[in-house]
Amino acid sequence: MDLFHNLILGFGVAVSPLNLLYALIGVLLGTLIGVLPGVGPVATIAMLLPITFNLNPVSALIMLAGIYYGAQYGGSTTAILVNIPGESSSVVTCLDGYQMARQGRAGPALAIAAIGSFFAGCVATLIIAVAAPPLAEVALKFGPSEYFSLMVFGLIAATVLARGSLVKAIAMVVFGLLLGLVGTDVNSGVLRFTFGIPELSDGIGFVVVAMGMFGTAEIIANLDLKDKREVFLSKVTHLYPTKDDLKRSWASILRGTALGSCLGILPGGGALLASFGAYTLEKKVSSHPEQFGKGAIEGVAGPESANNAGAQTSFIPMLTLGIPGNAVMALMIGALMIQGIAPGPQVMNEKPELFWGLIASMWVGNLMLVVLNLPMIGMWVKLLTVPYRYLFPSILVFMAIGVFSLSNNPFDVLIMAVFGVLGYICVKLECEPAPMILGFILGPLMEENLRRAMLLSRGDPFVFFQKPISLGFMVASAILLVIVALPAIRAKREEAFVEEAK
Amino acid sequence: MRIKSPKDFWAGLMFISTGLFFAIWSYAFYQMGTAVRMGPAYFPFVLGGLMVFLGLLVLIEGFVFEGTGEPLRLPFNIVDLIIAIAVFAVLLELAPRVGLSVDWGMIAASVVLSVLTVLFRPEAKALVLISVACLVYGYSMKPLGLVGATAALVFISAYGGHEFKWKEVLVLFLILILFSYLVFVKGLTLPFPMCPAAFSFC
Repeated sequence: MDLFHNLILGFGVAVSPLNLLYALIGVLLGTLIGVLPGVGPVATIAMLLPITFNLNPVSALIMLAGIYYGAQYGGSTTAILVNIPGESSSVVTCLDGYQMARQGRAGPALAIAAIGSFFAGCVATLIIAVAAPPLAEVALKFGPSEYFSLMVFGLIAATVLARGSLVKAIAMVVFGLLLGLVGTDVNSGVLRFTFGIPELSDGIGFVVVAMGMFGTAEIIANLDLKDKREVFLSKVTHLYPTKDDLKRSWASILRGTALGSCLGILPGGGALLASFGAYTLEKKVSSHPEQFGKGAIEGVAGPESANNAGAQTSFIPMLTLGIPGNAVMALMIGALMIQGIAPGPQVMNEKPELFWGLIASMWVGNLMLVVLNLPMIGMWVKLLTVPYRYLFPSILVFMAIGVFSLSNNPFDVLIMAVFGVLGYICVKLECEPAPMILGFILGPLMEENLRRAMLLSRGDPFVFFQKPISLGFMVASAILLVIVALPAIRAKREEAFVEEAK
Repeated sequence: MRIKSPKDFWAGLMFISTGLFFAIWSYAFYQMGTAVRMGPAYFPFVLGGLMVFLGLLVLIEGFVFEGTGEPLRLPFNIVDLIIAIAVFAVLLELAPRVGLSVDWGMIAASVVLSVLTVLFRPEAKALVLISVACLVYGYSMKPLGLVGATAALVFISAYGGHEFKWKEVLVLFLILILFSYLVFVKGLTLPFPMCPAAFSFC
């Protein structure tokens, strides 16, 4: 009955007019940037972080969360209609979705994508509500050694799931950890790596780094490519899927939801991994795999459900443990910190209205997306015709104004520009920036917990292998590393990412 | 020895030098402490060492494995990078001596670098102009106000794109400054000066 009680509390918060408005703004913005290729949820959320400073914490999180799952909807719309994945997680939707559109079945494809996403959203919301409290309960018993091992596990899992070279990804994590240490050392008060610059004594701002690595770097990389976007629009006539469509896709929706929910919880997981996993699964279990890539509705239903489920369940580790599983969750933690809330298992008990309000708003937001988006598809697609040369200066203005307003100091903008160049070089050298951001967030936390654990154990490093939970995380990390290092799996993993790149 | 994968080679070098820097700097300037009571140098020193090790692995990969994907094409080389840093160092040093603020030093350096890029390294136009546009925005906010800063950002960054049409960019600028004014100055009441500091009347 506790769950029921909590959900009522949550819905009470989520349906207040103000929060409904922010949820609406969030999902609309999310859909908008989901439709536009080259602007992702990470850059958008980073852009809006400074603004959330003026909101109350619940509204801020509701809006930011709406952007993340709204982007999944928007991304699939353009994938189906014009074969352009607006988001990386809708790359696989292009394969069958666009083929369906070419056969004049764009309507059913869009409808199934929306229905699947909505169903997955509902289930994932329930999963969070059921799974989060017991997890947080366990997490409350964590000591410093458990936390340290958990963070090691999270960072390793994030690198394993990143694309490209494993060693490079780990090196990027370490790079991020080191950058996170810049500023005043909490224990001794010593200024570390500040080079006499007073602005650095509080550390490098997380928003600034994220904007540079994901915002300006992305714009520069996009401008390096030639602007060759063409839009062929097939008219969306009848929207409703036939009985046969529904019969073929309901099982895919169920499978996609289940798989996506599991993959979303993993550190490093989230929408992207979920959609690729679901597509592979659908192809495997299908009785007519030859239809895949030629307009099989299962190839739309599975991944679309999975990416939405994954996007939502990736909130679980963030909400219960305070550990971000992907870059978007890292930004969410940033948003909490801006509001003066220390993320972790205590949030649920201390701020139940924040926790349950956010969960309830996810369901409300999903409902809004279904109701709003199907009739508005035409408008979203028109947006695709806006040339990039109008878009990127506008994005830059919003980023620069956001960063500048953090402390009215041009130094922040300078740091953003520096990280933009660094991010661009990293992309060119095939070093993924996402693991670095995770490391950056966790750097100070890891050092703090390592210090405490070592102090408690009187300098015995084996403390991490003596406590059962901590040992479990360490063993899991080791297994992950060994698995990925094995040649056979390595080849398979590369194959999976090559398929993705197409 | 032939470099088979330049991407891995340079990434390795980048990691090694960064790791070395952090390890040496923390060893030289901060207290190491012991494992029980870690000093401020302990964690960064260990991480720096780890990064050097990982960088070495990446570097070796660069000699052993053939690179995949597109070949590495960076629009600048080491000399360009040094010139760019020198431009900023010299002009930031020079500005106070001729009685100008740091803001103007930054703006001047940005403009010089942009001109150099457009003249001699057009392939790095996007990279330099986009970054520099942000810089100029930040540092011209005080002397030139929101209007001047936004104009600088929009025009410089748009010039870094593929097509540049004066009229289009002008319209875009007008829309963006109106939007910034209404949302950020009026709506969110952020304390930005609107006009250049020299115009005391507005």
